[in-house]
Amino acid sequence: MEIPARQSLPAMKQAPSHQGGQKGDPAFRLLATATGVGVLVVLGAIIAVMVTGGWKAFATFGPGFLVSAVWNPVTQHFGAAAPVFGTVISSALALLVAVPLAFGTAFWLTALAPPAAASVIGMAVQLLAAVPSIIFGMWGFFVVVPVVAHYVQPAARQLFGHVPGLSALVAGAPFGTGLFTAALILAVMITPSITAVMRDVFLSMPAVLRESGYGLGATRWEVMRHVVLPWSRQGVVGGIVLGMGRAMGETMAVTFVIGDSNHIGWSLFAPANTIASLIALEFPESPAGSLKLASLMALGAILMAISFVTLWFSRWLLARGEQAAGR
Amino acid sequence: MKANNTLMRADRSASLLWRRHMCDRLATGLSWLGMLIVVFMLGSILWTLLKNGLAGLNVHLFTLSMAAPGQPGGLANAIMGSLIQTGLAILIGAPAGLMTGIYLAEYGAGSRMARIVRFVSDMLLSAPSILIGLFIYMMLVVPFGHFSGFSGAVALAILAMPIVVRTTEDMLRLVPVAMREAGIALGAPKWRVILFICVRAVRAGIMTGVLLSIARVAGETAPLLFTSLGNSEWSLDLGRPMASLPVAIYQYAGSAYQDWMQQAWTGALLVTLGVLIINIVVRVGTRGGRS
Amino acid sequence: MSIEVPVKATGMTQPLDSTAASRDVQSPVAMQVRGLNFYYGTSHALHDISLDFPERSVTGMIGPSGCGKSTLLRVLNRMYDLYPGQRATGEVIFDKQNILNSGVDLNVLRSRIGMVFQKPTPFPMSIYDNIAFGIRLHERVSRSEMDGRVEDALRRVALWSEVQDRLSASATALSGGQQQRLCIARTIAVRPEVILLDEPTSALDPVSTARIEELLDELKTEFTIAIVTHNMQQAARCADQVAFFYMGRLIEVDSTARMFTTPREQQTQDYITGRFG
Repeated sequence: MEIPARQSLPAMKQAPSHQGGQKGDPAFRLLATATGVGVLVVLGAIIAVMVTGGWKAFATFGPGFLVSAVWNPVTQHFGAAAPVFGTVISSALALLVAVPLAFGTAFWLTALAPPAAASVIGMAVQLLAAVPSIIFGMWGFFVVVPVVAHYVQPAARQLFGHVPGLSALVAGAPFGTGLFTAALILAVMITPSITAVMRDVFLSMPAVLRESGYGLGATRWEVMRHVVLPWSRQGVVGGIVLGMGRAMGETMAVTFVIGDSNHIGWSLFAPANTIASLIALEFPESPAGSLKLASLMALGAILMAISFVTLWFSRWLLARGEQAAGR
Repeated sequence: MKANNTLMRADRSASLLWRRHMCDRLATGLSWLGMLIVVFMLGSILWTLLKNGLAGLNVHLFTLSMAAPGQPGGLANAIMGSLIQTGLAILIGAPAGLMTGIYLAEYGAGSRMARIVRFVSDMLLSAPSILIGLFIYMMLVVPFGHFSGFSGAVALAILAMPIVVRTTEDMLRLVPVAMREAGIALGAPKWRVILFICVRAVRAGIMTGVLLSIARVAGETAPLLFTSLGNSEWSLDLGRPMASLPVAIYQYAGSAYQDWMQQAWTGALLVTLGVLIINIVVRVGTRGGRS
Repeated sequence: MSIEVPVKATGMTQPLDSTAASRDVQSPVAMQVRGLNFYYGTSHALHDISLDFPERSVTGMIGPSGCGKSTLLRVLNRMYDLYPGQRATGEVIFDKQNILNSGVDLNVLRSRIGMVFQKPTPFPMSIYDNIAFGIRLHERVSRSEMDGRVEDALRRVALWSEVQDRLSASATALSGGQQQRLCIARTIAVRPEVILLDEPTSALDPVSTARIEELLDELKTEFTIAIVTHNMQQAARCADQVAFFYMGRLIEVDSTARMFTTPREQQTQDYITGRFG
């Protein structure tokens, strides 16, 4: 131990001293700052690597890379449209399922549940969020895919197969894999995190505002619909966008059940690909320096751009929500 | 039912009240349904894992390395590989996260730079993990010409770090000013106050973050596909491809062989139980500490 | 520390001495509390309270922090029902019914017994919608009728001239005093019979406080009012009868004049003369 320096109080910033302990200060500060800045460097490097790695693809195919749905390793023609389509559609469908589920669960946790039950179920929701994504993939492939193949898709075809306009949505052989199944798995994956955000913003509303709603004679649903939701709107949207970001970037859960097909079509049950699943599936046959690897990197750059924009947007909404709450 | 409404006043609409009650029942009913579906999903996943995984739980799983279909084999090398890579990832990621958290809470607080660092760290926290894998592939695999356990660990470290940054910063902000001032008043230099008073005071909270980051990266598959690749043999060499539990599960689950499938399920059960147990310990522990 | 409680424990049918005092106010009773006990979990917060709230008059409830006066207020519109573990026994008679019964429709009950809180609680919507929200819950009214009701409510709290040009602006942009008047307007717009006010001016400046007190004077021509307050002068200015609570018990209730001049209990005298609390 050093002998404590006899230093007067405002020694906070720099302490001009000859003692060894004081010399540690600038060094420690430098180390902490350098590590912090290192985080920026890592992100910068990721962006640089993706863009330079994918440059060959952008250079070869030009802007056509973005709109071409061709993915043909034999003719060395690669386009981003099919996986981008798969990513957007599967995430959008996942949100359609996940948002009502998450909202219902958050409503239950914050307004309906007895406290003991709320803490147990709240824990269960957090555990579901912690399950590794590959487990969702396996579960999806071995449990959900057969159900979709044997029950859901046949039922959907019976219901909508002869309805003009809707028949295309349910067309195709009942493989069980495809956009619909991927969306379902993604929905189960992102529901817990959206639920957690919603619960937190609902609970951050002052209790007295909730009581004011009840005080006017409103029902639980009316308080939720007219008081809690408007109050926490930005936080709720932020949580949804955060979930969407997760869904778009998810790899393992999707790879098992998406069906691996670079095809854009109407059918919800047709095999497809997302950017992440395509990268995971095609990478092993993409030697370093090949045009195919460059195309995968270019796809990675697109995915990064999409997910960073959504993340930025959700953080912005959540921060604004917090600000409004602080008022 | 009628008796409920005896407080009803003549100037109020009974049919409106009835409609409101129906709306409330419908909404709360759907809310119950949503909650039950979510719980059912967790139950279904756990039940599937237990049903398929328990059968393969035996000594060979932990003593034998991966083998060709039909040969006696286990997941010993994959379990070891996961432990090594996760451990190394935490050894790299946790101190980096701790220092960044200290920077954000103690040195950069309020500055523009700190806001950017915090934002970027949050971005890394939710960045698609497969991109981290691609990034490390280009940085550490291509230049050296081969896949390696070390590159896998670095990829995992990038995923672990932001979690530690978050908890460290949040925890340090909870340290009362009086405690800092007491340290400063003793004449201790700032870095000692931070490390030996502030960090020590909240070490349980920071530990929580570290545990959560372990739980997060232990189950990661995507970033390892392009970095440590996987290895069917026993290998502790960080410079060579290294097996890991999630990648072994991925490889086996996609196969057509009964015994591989069985091991995939058992491996999945192990990973999930490990991750969930860490989570339960952390959540129960922090709740107890708070109240 | 144990306190001698001078109020006699009585059966539910027999009026207490103290409630007899409120008869002096010479008006029918809007709400009767009889033998009320209240528990937060295992802690016994209100002990055998019996109290009458005369119609169209102001009952002030005073006492040191934690004495149970706010708790009693929250029993009167069953607000405690939101929180598991809180329960009440005894009787609160309103419109010939014991509102503590489990069969009571809380939505209807709370539309007839309104509440205003310590802090202003404007909903995150426009000024107009803040008022219209409560009305829409309980009545079907046409657009033009609604406009009239909103204007009427805002006029009665003397807010109309201040906000008539910005009815669609967010209510959260109003000042604290305006927000509290908006909350009172929101409550009376539902046309309740009883209004409960829980320290409604404790977060406001003196000018806003004075306006709210004036308002109470007008409102009592139409509503039965129960107000919890920390401020002895406020109780003296606004209330027709005053009830003094201490440690979960009702120590004394009497007309305001008598309460502040010749209280019967030593504890009451000590409190109102500022010897404790």
